[in-house]
Formats: sequence, C-alpha cells, structure tokens
Amino acid sequence: MQDGSASLQLAVGDRVVYPNQGVCRVSAIEVKEVAGQKLTFVTMRREEDGAVVMVPQTKVLSIGVRKVAGPEDVTQVFEFLRSDSDKADLDWKMRARTNQDRMAQGGLIGMAEVVKGLQVLSELRPLPTKERELYDNARHLLVSEIAAALNTSDCNAEDAIDLVLFPLGRERPKRTAAEFAPRPGEGDEDLGLDADLLGLDTELDLPPDEEEAPAEEEEEESSEEAGEEDEEGEAKPRKKAAAMPAEGGADAAPKKRGRPPKPKPEGAEAAAPKKRGRPPKPKPEGAEAPAPKKRGRPPKAKPAEGAEAAAPAPKKRGRPPKAKAPETEEAEEQDADFDDDDIEADE
Amino acid sequence: MIRVVTLDSFDEKQIAKLCQTLYTAFGVGSEHSGQKEVPAGMSEPLDAEKLLTEMKGIRAYEDDKVLFITSRKLKERELAGGKVPTPGFAQYNKSRAIISTHGYKDLETSFKAVARNALQQIGHLWGLHHCLDPRCSMYPPWTPSFSAGEATFCTFCRDKSEQKLRLAKS
Repeated sequence: MQDGSASLQLAVGDRVVYPNQGVCRVSAIEVKEVAGQKLTFVTMRREEDGAVVMVPQTKVLSIGVRKVAGPEDVTQVFEFLRSDSDKADLDWKMRARTNQDRMAQGGLIGMAEVVKGLQVLSELRPLPTKERELYDNARHLLVSEIAAALNTSDCNAEDAIDLVLFPLGRERPKRTAAEFAPRPGEGDEDLGLDADLLGLDTELDLPPDEEEAPAEEEEEESSEEAGEEDEEGEAKPRKKAAAMPAEGGADAAPKKRGRPPKPKPEGAEAAAPKKRGRPPKPKPEGAEAPAPKKRGRPPKAKPAEGAEAAAPAPKKRGRPPKAKAPETEEAEEQDADFDDDDIEADE
Repeated sequence: MIRVVTLDSFDEKQIAKLCQTLYTAFGVGSEHSGQKEVPAGMSEPLDAEKLLTEMKGIRAYEDDKVLFITSRKLKERELAGGKVPTPGFAQYNKSRAIISTHGYKDLETSFKAVARNALQQIGHLWGLHHCLDPRCSMYPPWTPSFSAGEATFCTFCRDKSEQKLRLAKS
C-alpha cells in the first residue's frame, strides 16, 4: 500500500495522504531559495480545513506522504475489519508504541489496525482518555481516506466501516481477558523452549517461598504503575492463568522463569519462608530475649536505692502548697531554727 | 444556531420540545424555522443525500446548522460494508442533516429515539464520529440499544462538540 518506489511523481491537483494529517491536495510545486540553496517545494493543502504545508520534494517519501489508496486497498481494509484476527495487546506500553508507529507510518491498513485493535479492546473495558483520542484520530483519518478512495461522502464511508465493526441488529460482544491471551507460538511465554532445552527437569520441587516470590515481584511492579497499569497488573495473572494447562494436583504448578533453585541437601528440613528486608541481628548465646521496646520517650534513669530517701520529691508545678503543721520532731526543730533566724533578723 | 425545518406536519409542542433538547445538548440556540416542501420529482423512499443537496430556499447563516425532519421513509444506502438503514443522514462537517420519524407511531411516544437521532445527525455536522459508548447518542443507530437510550452525549463526545463549537464561534 505504501508507495515504496524511490520516486513519487506528484503533480498539481493530485490527492495525497500526509501521515497523521489526512487527505491533502497538491496545490503547487515550486522552486524556492532557502539559505542560498535552491529547493523544490511541494505545497499541499489539507482538504478538511485548508491548512497548508510545504515539504521539500526530497523529503516527501521519507515523511511518508503517499497517494490516496485505491479501491483494491479499501477492499483489503474491509476484509481485515471483518476478520477476527486483531487482538490488542494488553500491555499498555507495547500497545501505545505499536499504535504510535502505525499512525506515524500513515498506511491505510495501519490505521485500520489501530481502529480495530482499540475497538476490540473497548469490548473488554472502556478505553482510557488518551486511547479514546487516538481511536478517534485514527477513525477520522481512515474515514476521510476511504471517502476519498471511493469518491463518496464521509458519512457514507463511516457507515460502511461501522457496519462491519457494529454488525446490523446485534450488540457488540463482551470480551474476556482470556481472549486476549497470546496464542501458542505467538507470545514470549512460549518461545518453543521446552524445559529439556533449558536444562530443567519438568518436575521441579520448588520451595514454597521461591514459588511465591516471582508473583509478589510482579504484583509490586504492577502496583508501581499508575492508573491503567493497575488494570494491566490484574490482567497479567489472568493472561497467565489462561495460558496454563488445565491440570490438577502438584504437577500442575506453573513453570517459573529464571535460574533454577539450588538442590536441597538431603535430610534438611524445609527452610522457613524467607522474609524480606534486613536480616535480624544474631542473638548472643545465653542472653535472654530483650523486652520488646516501647515506643515514645524513654523513661528517666532511676537512681540507686540508697539515694532514694535523699532524692528530692518531684517538683510539682503551680503554686506551692501551704506549710502544714509539723508533726514530727524534725519539723519542730526546723521551726525552732526558723524562729531563731527571725529573731536575729529582727534584732 | 440550529434551525429545525419540517418537511411534513408535526405537533408544534413536540417540535418545540425537540428544539429545547437540542439546545440543552449543544448549548446553542435552536428554533423551528417553518415547514418546507420536498423538491418536486422526489418520491418515497427519499434519497437523503440528494434531498439535502437539492433543498432550496432555506435561510441560514454560515455557522447555522439546518435539521430537516420528515415522516417519510429514507432510502437505504448500498455501501461497501453492506446495505445500511437510513434513519438519518448528515453532510459531515457541513451544515445540513435530515432525520426521519418513519416507523414510529408519533413523535410524542417515540420522542427519545427521535431526539437521539437528531443529536447524532447534528453531532455529525459538528464533526463527531460514531462512539463506542452505547449510552451516547453517537452510538451507531442500527444497533438494538440505540432507541432505548437517553438523548445525551458521553463525556468525550460532549467535550469534542463543545470544542468544535468554540472554534466555530471564534
């Protein structure tokens, strides 16, 4: 479909497709002097709104400008849209990259792939805003090019496409994530490398902690990604579950990627499940387990027992209490001292 | 401004209600601009595309959108994707659209479906494409759930129509 020939012969009045812009009409081909160089520029006017773009003739092909598709190409597009072949990738990053590439290339089939892929994905769950915009852009470009190719109105072109995407008298089907699982031989999970090729036995006695660890890691990775990625995180286990053979018992444990576990020493007990984080400090032998630390401010150090009596009573805040009547001999002596002092002071 | 032009006789109250619905959906004025005759030589089922081209004597400004309403059947279209029923037709990104109430008992009992159809055709005039949301008025009209829904837009279509309106006014 993409004109792969080295020279795209354009003439004034030709209809071309500019990637990501839509159908344009060549309005002029003229030589202009730019920075002392004489360059041939192709001036194109977008049919939709009359926007003008000038491209050096030498760059026309590399940009991806091509002539409007013919009726045969449109037939191919309808066949593709009717087929049940295109399932969008559930990995949003891969999907976004692929769709951007298709849009940048600007091929008719590429745009149909974007529309079909996102349409099918919307049958699983509503599209996020960015993808909804992408879907709308791709649909707009596809409709305008098909209308130009068939020489019909945009409304007819859109209805023709939607009659395939939304069959007459039927509601759109609801999809499940299992339908988006890669087929055998397609996905990266099935690269044709059997366990024997990897040097692994089919029955691996993995300790329970090592079986759990990769799943946790995947969950953590997926939880780091915001918004839509959360949905992807949910979809991944489902995807894996769909790819798993329906077997029961311990033999049905899913094969794990990565390095095989070290063989266990015979007779050794099963190790306790590993905990993450810093390992605990080794305890000194014979020492009792320290009491669990309490949070908050540590209590003040208590003085020795002998000094307990001499220790001053804790200061109370506020006004000091009035002196009570002395009850002990010491108190009487103190009073006597006070009286003497008072007398001396009076003298 | 949205101008509603009837090609057959309709209940005035229902037409006024339709204008009110269009005003609510698009936020631009909407009024009934009278009744006109179908061009001579056109018989039922009407060829929508031809009718829109041949209708003369409609007074409207450049930014105005004209919606014709008829009770007669519109001709089905033979397209590359197959034969498609035509409850309405619009000149995409231009100024004229038509809807038909054929198949409905009257405008009062089937107001929702007719209003939804009107919203979709005027949406096409503002450059909106068909939508993926079954609750949106831009959902393809030949689907079974189309007639059951309310005459409203989804968030995406409403935002897009508002943006187009803003650009048109400027």
